[in-house]
Amino acid sequence: MMRTVEILLVVMIITSAFIVASLFAVLPSPRQVSPINLRRLALTTLQALDVDYDLSATMFKNATDDPAWGQLQIALSACLPPNIVYNLTVYEVQSGQAQLYKPIKSISNAESLGVGSDSSSYLVASSNVTFSAVPEKIGEHGGGGTLYILNCSDANGWWITGYTAQKLAEDLYNILSPYFQNTVMLQSTAQLGTILNGTSIRGETLQNAVVINTYGEAVPIPREYCQGYERQSEGYYSGVAYPYSKFCYTLGQRTRQYNWTWGSIVGWPLYYVSNMATLNDSQNSWGIYGMVKVESPGLRAFLQGLDNQPYSYGNSQTGSPGIVYLSTSAQYYCNYYGIYPSPYQTSTRALPSSILSTYHLTVSTYIFNQVDTWIPGAVYRNTVSGGLLALGLTRTPDIRLTALGLLCDYKPRIYRSEYSAAGTSRLVVLQLGQVGGV
Amino acid sequence: MTGATIDHMVSVTVFIGAILLFISLFNQTIQTAIIYQRHRYLATKCSDLLDSMLLNPGEPIEWGKGNSTPTSFGLQDPEFTQYRLSPFSLMRLQSLTGTPFTYPRTGVTYSNLSMGFGNFLFVPYTTAINYSTASRLLGTNNTYGFQLSITPIVTVSIEETHAANPLTLTIKVAGAGFPLSNSEVSYCFLKVNEKGGQNNPSYASLFGTIYTDDEGLAVVSIQNVDTGTAYAFIAYAHISGLVGTGYHERVSGDKQYVLPLIDSFGDKRILLVHSYNVHDFGPPESSVFFNATFVLLTEDFTLREMPMENSTGKLGKVVYGQGTDKQWSNVTIPTYNPGILIVTYQSNNEYGVVLMPWGIGSMAFPISFGISPTEAEWVTTDARQVIVGGIAYQAKLALWSLLGSQVIS
Repeated sequence: MMRTVEILLVVMIITSAFIVASLFAVLPSPRQVSPINLRRLALTTLQALDVDYDLSATMFKNATDDPAWGQLQIALSACLPPNIVYNLTVYEVQSGQAQLYKPIKSISNAESLGVGSDSSSYLVASSNVTFSAVPEKIGEHGGGGTLYILNCSDANGWWITGYTAQKLAEDLYNILSPYFQNTVMLQSTAQLGTILNGTSIRGETLQNAVVINTYGEAVPIPREYCQGYERQSEGYYSGVAYPYSKFCYTLGQRTRQYNWTWGSIVGWPLYYVSNMATLNDSQNSWGIYGMVKVESPGLRAFLQGLDNQPYSYGNSQTGSPGIVYLSTSAQYYCNYYGIYPSPYQTSTRALPSSILSTYHLTVSTYIFNQVDTWIPGAVYRNTVSGGLLALGLTRTPDIRLTALGLLCDYKPRIYRSEYSAAGTSRLVVLQLGQVGGV
Repeated sequence: MTGATIDHMVSVTVFIGAILLFISLFNQTIQTAIIYQRHRYLATKCSDLLDSMLLNPGEPIEWGKGNSTPTSFGLQDPEFTQYRLSPFSLMRLQSLTGTPFTYPRTGVTYSNLSMGFGNFLFVPYTTAINYSTASRLLGTNNTYGFQLSITPIVTVSIEETHAANPLTLTIKVAGAGFPLSNSEVSYCFLKVNEKGGQNNPSYASLFGTIYTDDEGLAVVSIQNVDTGTAYAFIAYAHISGLVGTGYHERVSGDKQYVLPLIDSFGDKRILLVHSYNVHDFGPPESSVFFNATFVLLTEDFTLREMPMENSTGKLGKVVYGQGTDKQWSNVTIPTYNPGILIVTYQSNNEYGVVLMPWGIGSMAFPISFGISPTEAEWVTTDARQVIVGGIAYQAKLALWSLLGSQVIS
C-alpha cells in the first residue's frame, strides 16, 4: 500500500511538472507564427506613394492646412488592406542641434496599432536640395536666349515611330530648358503662326531664338498659310506637284529674318506639312491624316529662303552613308553635359556638302563625322543670318542627339553647384498594425 | 506477503501507465512546437521568395518583351529599381483563373487573361511562362507550391447612367473599400462613326479631365451620343501617387466582332480574328471590318493617341470562311510604351469596339499565377505594394510546403 501511495505522489509531481511546463511553453498565435511582413509592406507603401515624388512634395507642404495632407491620408487608407491600421509621422532632420529629428506632423486612422506593429522609415528630400549644376544661360549676355519647342496638339508627326511629338517635346524641354533664358512650348499651330508673324507669345525675345521641330519629317503649318486662307501666298504655290513647299520657303525666310536656328530632329527635313484641322481630309500616303507631302522640294525651298534667294521650285537631295560616328567635339561634350547617346547611328538622309556653297552656309558644328560628300548631322549657319540643325538619321529619333548638337554649338558653361542639407530633408515613418482575427 | 505483492504490482502498473501518459503529453507539446517552428520558417521563406520575384528582372532582363523562355525568373522592370514590375513580363505569365482556348485556324492555345467581353488579353501558350517553368527557375519545384496574385489597388468603375443623348457616365473611384475623393480623373472617349456598307469604321476621340467628389464619384456628360452609338470610355484616376484605371464599352453587335490575340511579343504583332472562328456561334456570317488605334498614358496622367500608319495593318477585315480572303489580320503596335490597343469594328451595320492592354497595367488587369493550395496543410501569405507601368498594384504570394511538415532545409 505504501508503494502505491508513493507512486501516486510521483504521478502528482509529474502532473505538476507538466502543468508548470505547459504554463511556460505558451505556443504563439497563428498571426505570430505566420505574420504578414508589415515592415516591408510599410516600405513598399511609401515607395508606391512616392513613385512620382508626390509623397516628397507633400512632406514639404504646410502641415496645418494644405489639402495635400488630406489627399495623402485618403491614398494611405485606400492602398492598405482593411485590416491594417497606420500611423504616419514626419520628422524634420536637423543638423547641429541636440535633437536630430523634430516631429512635424502625424496622421493616423486608429487610436492604437493593436498588439503588434512594425514600421519603416523613408527619407525624402525637398525638390530644391539635390546636387544641381547651374548652367550659363544661352543669351544671358545679350542676344536671344529663347528656345521654342513645337508641341502643337493639332499636328501629327512622321518618322518619330514609337514616340509622339509631345513626348519628344517634353524630353527636350527637360534636357534643354535649364540652358535657355526662356523656353516656350508652342502648343498649337496658331502659336507657331504667331511667332512667324513676328509676335512673341509671352514677351520673350524672338530674335536669335532656337526653334526645334519635334514632328520629325513633318512640320506643323498654321491654318492661315494653307490653301484658301489669308496667307495662302506664303504657304501654297499652285501649279506644282507639291505646292506646300512654299511654306518651307517662308520658314527659311523667317529663320533668316529673325536669325533663328531651325532644328530638324530626324530624317529628311520638311518632307511633309501637318495640320489636323485644315488638312484633315488629306493623308501622307501612309495613312496618317492631317498631313500633306512636300517631298524633297521642301528642303530646297527652306534653304532658298534662308539664303534670301528667290523661290524656285525644284528637288533637293539626301544620301545614305549608313553607319556614322559622333564627331570628336560631340564626344567631348557628351561628357561635359552628361548626355550619352549611342556614339554611332544609321544615317539615311544625310545632306550633301554641295549645299554649303549653293546656299552660302558654313558648318559651325559637326555632330557626326562627314562621310565623303555627305554630312549626316551638323549645325549650318548662313553667312548673313539664320541657321539649320539637321540630323539626317533614320528613324526612330534619339532626341538627346538634338540637344547635344545644340549644346555643342552654343557651348553654355556649367558652374559649380552648391549643396546644403539644412532643413531640406524629412524622415517619414510609417507604422502599421494589424487588427481583427488571431 | 500477498498484500505487498499486490501493492508492488499496482504501483508498478500505475507508474508505467503514468510515465507513458506523460511521455505522450510532452511529446505532443514538443511536436506542436516543432510544427509551429516550421510554419514560421515557411513564412520567412514566403517573404524571401516574394522579394526574389519582385526585386530582380530575370535573365535576360528584357524577357518580357521577347518570345524566349527566361533562364532566371524575375518580374522587376529592368528600367527601374525597387518594387516596380515589368508590365510585359506580367503579361507573359500563364493565367491560373482564365479558361484557355484554342484558335482552330492555327491550332494555337491561348492563356486567357481577359476581363469580360470587349476587354481581351490572350497570350499564346507557346510564349506564356507556365507554373512549372517558373517554379523550376525559382528552385521551388517539388518542395513548395505557390500562387502569386497581382491585383490593382485602385478600382475605377464606370456606369452608364443616361444612355440617350447626352450620354452620362458615372465614374466611381475607390481603394480598398475606401472612396478616393478629390482624385483627378483623365479620360478618353472614343466614339465609333457609322459608315455602313463594306467600310472600315472610323472613330472620333475626345479627351478630358475631371475630379471626383467626396464620395469618389465623378460624372461625365458627352454630347451627340445616342442609344445606338458604340463607344469606348477609358479613365485614369490619380491621387497622391496612387493611379488606377477603368474602362467601359458599348456595342451594337456582340456576336460578330474582332478578337485580338497576341502573336509575337518580340515583333509587337497582334492577330485580329473573326469571333465566329473562336466561338462558332452558328452558320458562317459576313466579314468584320476594323480600324485599330493606340492610346498611351503620358507622364502627366493624360491619355494621348499615337497615330498608326497603314503599314501597321490598322485597317482591314477578317472573315469567317475558308475562302481566299484572309481569315485574320496582323496589327503591329508601334511601341513598347504601355498603352491600350483600341479596335473599332463593324459588320452588317452593327458596330462595336474592343480593347486590349499592351502592358498589363494600362488596363489594370489583375493576374493570378501558380497553382491552387486546396490540399495544403498550412498556407502562409505575404504582400507588397508594387507599381506596374505607373499603376498601383498589390502583389500577394501564398506559399505552402509540398512535403507536409518535413520541409526544413
